[in-house]
Amino acid sequence: MSRLDLVVEICGSAGEGTISAGEILSRFMSEEGYDIMSFDSYPAEIRGFGKCVAHTRISRGGVLTPGKFADVLIALNDIHSIGQLSVLKEKGVLIYDNKPARYHLEDQSVVGWLEPGMTPYGIPLTELSIKASGNARARNMVALGAFSALFGIDRDAFTESIRRRYGKKQQAVIDSNVNSFLEGYAWTLENVRKMDSFRFDGMSAEVKRDQLIINGNEATAMGALAAGLHLYAGYPITPATKIMEIMSKELPKRGGIFLQTEDEISSIAHVIGAGFAGERAMTGTSGPGFCLMSEFTGLAVMAEVPAVIVDSQRGGPSTGMPTKHEQSDLNIALYGGSGDSPRVVIAPTCVEECYQAAVLALYIAEKYQTLVILLLDFFLSNSIKNMDPPTAPETKYLNAHIVPDAEALSDYKRFRITENGISPRTIPGTEGGMFFATGLEHDERGKPVYDTVSHTRMTEKRFRKHKGIATEIPAPEVSGYEGDADIGVVAWGSSAGAAREAVEYANEKGIKAACFSSLFISPFPESELKLFSKRCRKILVPEMNYSGQFANMIARYLERPMERLNLVTGLPMASEDILKKIEEIEYL
Amino acid sequence: MTQPFHLDEQIASVKDKGFLSFRTGELPTWCPGCGYFGITDAIYKACLELGLKNEEICAVSGIGCAGRFPVFMNVYGFHTLHGRSVPVASGVKLAREDLTVFAVAGDGDALGIGGGHLPHVARRNIDITLFLFDNSIYGLTKGQSSATTLYGQKTSSHPSGNPDTPVNPVKLALAYGASFVARGFAGDPEGLKHIVKAAIVHKGFSFVHITSPCVTFDKSNFTWNNLKENHSPIDTGLHDPGNMESAMRMAEHERFKIGIIFKDEKRLSYHDNLRQMALKPK
Repeated sequence: MSRLDLVVEICGSAGEGTISAGEILSRFMSEEGYDIMSFDSYPAEIRGFGKCVAHTRISRGGVLTPGKFADVLIALNDIHSIGQLSVLKEKGVLIYDNKPARYHLEDQSVVGWLEPGMTPYGIPLTELSIKASGNARARNMVALGAFSALFGIDRDAFTESIRRRYGKKQQAVIDSNVNSFLEGYAWTLENVRKMDSFRFDGMSAEVKRDQLIINGNEATAMGALAAGLHLYAGYPITPATKIMEIMSKELPKRGGIFLQTEDEISSIAHVIGAGFAGERAMTGTSGPGFCLMSEFTGLAVMAEVPAVIVDSQRGGPSTGMPTKHEQSDLNIALYGGSGDSPRVVIAPTCVEECYQAAVLALYIAEKYQTLVILLLDFFLSNSIKNMDPPTAPETKYLNAHIVPDAEALSDYKRFRITENGISPRTIPGTEGGMFFATGLEHDERGKPVYDTVSHTRMTEKRFRKHKGIATEIPAPEVSGYEGDADIGVVAWGSSAGAAREAVEYANEKGIKAACFSSLFISPFPESELKLFSKRCRKILVPEMNYSGQFANMIARYLERPMERLNLVTGLPMASEDILKKIEEIEYL
Repeated sequence: MTQPFHLDEQIASVKDKGFLSFRTGELPTWCPGCGYFGITDAIYKACLELGLKNEEICAVSGIGCAGRFPVFMNVYGFHTLHGRSVPVASGVKLAREDLTVFAVAGDGDALGIGGGHLPHVARRNIDITLFLFDNSIYGLTKGQSSATTLYGQKTSSHPSGNPDTPVNPVKLALAYGASFVARGFAGDPEGLKHIVKAAIVHKGFSFVHITSPCVTFDKSNFTWNNLKENHSPIDTGLHDPGNMESAMRMAEHERFKIGIIFKDEKRLSYHDNLRQMALKPK
């Protein structure tokens, strides 16, 4: 195999150690220098025997999506795994518990449902777990041992990784896990004849112990903390709660303030209060909570107060599907709230970018005294990726206050009309810098006024800030075919990874395809998109919403017919879906 | 024939009164005879007597007649959204403990649309002072019933009489666990000044209920005459502000008693609580 690219799924019921086995596997693979991406699924209910799937893609050359189908399925629970066989590839491998027949009702062993072409390996998971640890709870570790033996993974390196993972636990716990792993490894090596072609080669070529293995929520929180976040106010809501939990632990350690508020209105109110007071502040929520914040988004723009809102999108409208993926809050992010209200919208395309996006969000909010919306989604919030520890943000991103000089202070106009739209701002406590800020239209001193000239000039000033912001946004990411292409895929948010991958596959198939995505949705790199569009015969916009919110937005820049791929499956966009669409389009 | 009004001349004529340093150059937009002039006067004087500096004060208001207060006070003023002065003020204080923070709200603002925030700022005991300007009417939208409008009172939204029972703001504040609860009257700026001073000095959430007439939209119930007749100071010999039961009785039966109704000086403010918790072993 030239490029190893393997998708492993572990399927069990809640409480069987399914997710932790997946985590142990991905951590080890990352330490061994592989790139990993995990996207687990588990029931919304906390208790019970619901189906859990730990899904991990392991690759040597970067991973952009977790992959839709699995090469290897490790079945810890037969009933749940029978359903999961539908995602196993044609030549996939099944590792299952070959318990004696009396354990099963008729037709309830997963191996009975296997398609021809798939390779089953029966391992006595329960028996070996009892032998090694005295109970059946370590079946997940036995399975990992069997997996390692079958695919040529270094036994000792993996054992060490497990020991590090359980380092702080009691010796008995460590021993039970390690022994079960070794038992599974030894039994498989001795009793199983390898029949499939998958194999990990060149293990330990490049050991990376310092890799972070984090999800998008964690990366966002890390970025915000690195950018000097001082206050976080939040209200629990899936899938953004993890950000709040991190802040509740980390902010007090750094002298910051964490507050769990009574509702999302209060969250954004606290953020805006702290922003007015001169400190960096942020809140995180999902669609329903973001709706409640709408009125305050207008205040941040009107009163020119920095504020950052993270909206991790989920299935909507209303309460919708709390644990399902969708990209359908773009409209409310761009256009929510009353009046003409320019807003900055940043949509990271992968876990690594969440960190950078959080830094930029706090920086731009402070420098331009405005609202920044960071659009995550269920997939980004929950998918786990390995990444190098990020470098600390440059100093320019850490203090972006533009304050008035002594001369300006002598006749201070808080909302002075300026060329770039930024009026130097005093922070409360500054002598002689007192001002009045309001959500009413106002003159340069903040006094409420409603005349046509003031409203026109102030509206223009608020919109002018976006010209400056547009000069600070990262260049769009363009990949794939470099010349005149048959198809240009324009993607946003977490669907961009799948789009890039689909374009790669299309290129391999000889289709001239290219891909365009931008971290910033507003302001948007309009001219770059126009240039890109010029060299593409067709444009395809894939996104996880029904109405084509992003396609509608770019339609006003491109003014040309576009192909659309709109899915509301509740699952992340898959490169297979986009590739299929690319192949379906007629290129006349 | 009316004399032309020159603000500068007016200010110059009373220059010896230092509280005018808290005055901005803006002419108040309240109706002539409004009770809010008296409240504003009391707050200016309290700040002056406490030696507070303009730049160390942040006044956060909501929407309504009371919401305009920060336009007329020379401090860091923030006129926010309807009902949201309390959580925004809380955000200012949490971010900047060094500032003296006021939340200013009317009865519609604090008890109607923003009523949901009160229990939480009270139970957190965030060290801000809420000035509740209560004229029992929506004045800025021309006289609709509010949460404190009397039962049966005719208003522009209830021409045949208000069918709703009013809330009791002081009783609510006590029930929510506010650590400082007082009532003042717009017609007694001197007495109100002392209450405001005590409220600002109190470390924790202070709730100051201030009754006022609306001279434009309420000509029969909470008028200057009626309010003046009914208001009387709390007899400090009979009431101990440290006693919750006595405070509750007063809240229930004495709707027009002015003075400090309840004060818990032992309770830690939010910031002090955080500091103490940080010291505890995990």
